[in-house]
Amino acid sequence: MEKIRKKHSFLNVKEKSFLIVAGTILLGMALVITGFPGITIAAGPKVIKIGSIQPATGMIAEIGQACRRGNLLAVEDINARGGIKSMGGAKLELLLGDSEGKPPIGRSEAERLIKNGSVCLVGAFMSSVTMAIATLAEQRGVPFVIDIAAADPITQQGYKHVFRNFTKSSVFGRCYADYIKDIIAHSKVPIKRAVLMNIDDLFGTVTAKFTLKALKDKNVPIDIVAHITFPHAAKDISTEVAKAKAAKPDILIPIVRIASSRVLLKELYKQKVKLLGIVAPGCPGFYEPEFFKDMRKLANFIMDSPPWINPKSSMFKEVNARYQKKFNKGPMDTNSAYAYEGVMIIADALERAKSTEPDKIVAALRKTNIKEHITLGGPIVFDKNGDNPNAITGMLQNLNGRTRLVLPREFAEVDYVFPTPNLWER
Amino acid sequence: MNRNSIIFLAAVLLFLLLLPLFSSSALIGIFILIFFYAYLGQCWNILSGYVGAVSVGHALFVGIGAYISTKLALVWGLSPWIGMFLGGFCASIIALFIGYLGFRFRVKGVYFFLLTIAFAEVGRLIFLHLDVFGGPVGIFIPFKPSFINFQFKGNNPYYYIAMGMMIFSIIVVRIIEKSNIGLLSVAIREDEDAAQSLGVNSFKCKMILFFISGFMTALGGTFYANYFYYIQPDIVFGLGLSVDIILRPIVGGMGTVFGPVIGSFLMTPLAEFTRNYFAKGGYEGLHMIIYGIILIIVVLFFPRGLAPSFQRMYRSFKKNISKS
Repeated sequence: MEKIRKKHSFLNVKEKSFLIVAGTILLGMALVITGFPGITIAAGPKVIKIGSIQPATGMIAEIGQACRRGNLLAVEDINARGGIKSMGGAKLELLLGDSEGKPPIGRSEAERLIKNGSVCLVGAFMSSVTMAIATLAEQRGVPFVIDIAAADPITQQGYKHVFRNFTKSSVFGRCYADYIKDIIAHSKVPIKRAVLMNIDDLFGTVTAKFTLKALKDKNVPIDIVAHITFPHAAKDISTEVAKAKAAKPDILIPIVRIASSRVLLKELYKQKVKLLGIVAPGCPGFYEPEFFKDMRKLANFIMDSPPWINPKSSMFKEVNARYQKKFNKGPMDTNSAYAYEGVMIIADALERAKSTEPDKIVAALRKTNIKEHITLGGPIVFDKNGDNPNAITGMLQNLNGRTRLVLPREFAEVDYVFPTPNLWER
Repeated sequence: MNRNSIIFLAAVLLFLLLLPLFSSSALIGIFILIFFYAYLGQCWNILSGYVGAVSVGHALFVGIGAYISTKLALVWGLSPWIGMFLGGFCASIIALFIGYLGFRFRVKGVYFFLLTIAFAEVGRLIFLHLDVFGGPVGIFIPFKPSFINFQFKGNNPYYYIAMGMMIFSIIVVRIIEKSNIGLLSVAIREDEDAAQSLGVNSFKCKMILFFISGFMTALGGTFYANYFYYIQPDIVFGLGLSVDIILRPIVGGMGTVFGPVIGSFLMTPLAEFTRNYFAKGGYEGLHMIIYGIILIIVVLFFPRGLAPSFQRMYRSFKKNISKS
């Protein structure tokens, strides 16, 4: 009997050691999550906390980290200039949150940052995550400045605490239609037929829809002779490209991502598709430095119209120099530039609000009017929805191994080349 | 259940009920996630834990519940409190259809995985291409806080709703476990052929459990929609959510009443904790590695889940006490 009992008694060694480890971890976690209450109070009034939520890990970690760098640099710059002067030179502190690209995590990170004393939030790149945080910000009464997120409905909910500096999806299409009109008007050869090729994921289908709608709404005199969708992970799209070739287009409107941009371009080259130009409505893949490395001469002359930095702004040149030095990365891109502006807008509002009270910050944000900034478009202002009506996209063209801004003309670095040479003659 | 465990559970319940009075909204947010995933895990447990038909497509039901209740609320102004049951009803019909195909033709093991994944993917693709449901853009749900709208300004109402759902699911599982069907299903899980040879109608038994599981999972979908205010097919029908659902009951112990709850109480805070303290700038991704390592350790130590081990520990502990 004794023997049997011993066999069954309590725990074996393995389980005991596990329990000790697990118990310690759990206890530590409980302490830390509930928060050592002293920490936030002890921070003192001289520091103003801003919560940044970006997708720093997960599917689009690279982009999320670029956004985070933009946020960080802006905080550093503002502190170096003496912090928020109207509040006795209070310094800014950026609390970092990581959404992993998932709405539940984004929301819970935002909650944590608010709990830790953020007076304002900035983020969050993905529209789904941004929507979750926007609603939370409204619920908690914490101002939220969206540095990047394009989906229109986010700012159409009547939220009082949500502001967006980024270009809306619908504006993407409108700007693109204007630029295409400009190209058609200035072209020496007639441009009549276009083929639209898009990948089949969320981004591809939505952008295709908006682009087609904008071309139609703006009465752009061009026929979409074929609309071809292909799988975003496809390695071979020869059939799709053959279909496009058969439609005899003057221009190609590709909606792709980084991997598919390479696949598409190689196939167009292989099949010698005759085109006056390739003009994309704002998609990643055509302007990153890696694209030139991979595609060499083929990369030249391709046009794309994403939101972009303002290359003529002296402020951009300054900020960009610091960015490259601090992070040892290539030039500042759209993502880090808009992220930089997000924090800049908050600091400007704090300066005028002279307070960290949410209502006063919101009132100040409403009166935002920043003339000198680093991205395209007029001064940063907010309309009644909290959108920046001056946020636009630009038209880029790859020329001599560099991406240059060609439209709108007031910001352009150079004039665009159109029609462009055939792919195999570059 | 004996007196001690009733006292223990009552104490836990009281603690959870009073928790919002003295904690921050961020902590309550974490608890909401704990309850929510425990609830979904429990719903999954009803089917996969008890009869052993492992579904890797439970997000399908979350998606259907979320979409149907939301659409009804947006178009006809129907309160999600009613819409959620209609959504649940639709989901359970689909569960019966999948179940019929799966169980009638005796699709088992990995093939049942594939069947459920396939249906979840079909659901995702259908909703991705239906413009009435917002297509790939998804649905942004307007925030109009009121009880009827299932929308609230603070976290506390969500907390109590999620907790209520979790307790409801625990009770359902407990009833099932003690009922005839629970016993039959365990017999089926252990050896289906032997059970059938003794006259167990395994088809009927599985269908009933799948029906309940699908119905309840869809209720969780409504909660998701009205807590995060945005639904999109890739998110609510996605494989990622399906995996999130099954991870907790697997760690906690499948086929036990408290397995999914224990799993969720361990894993959800663990994810939050690792993210808070290891995801500093410059070390992006470190928290995931640490989270993964802890997960591996747990699975190595407790291959059958935490709940059975806890139960065994508790029993031997009691024995020791009564002896001494």
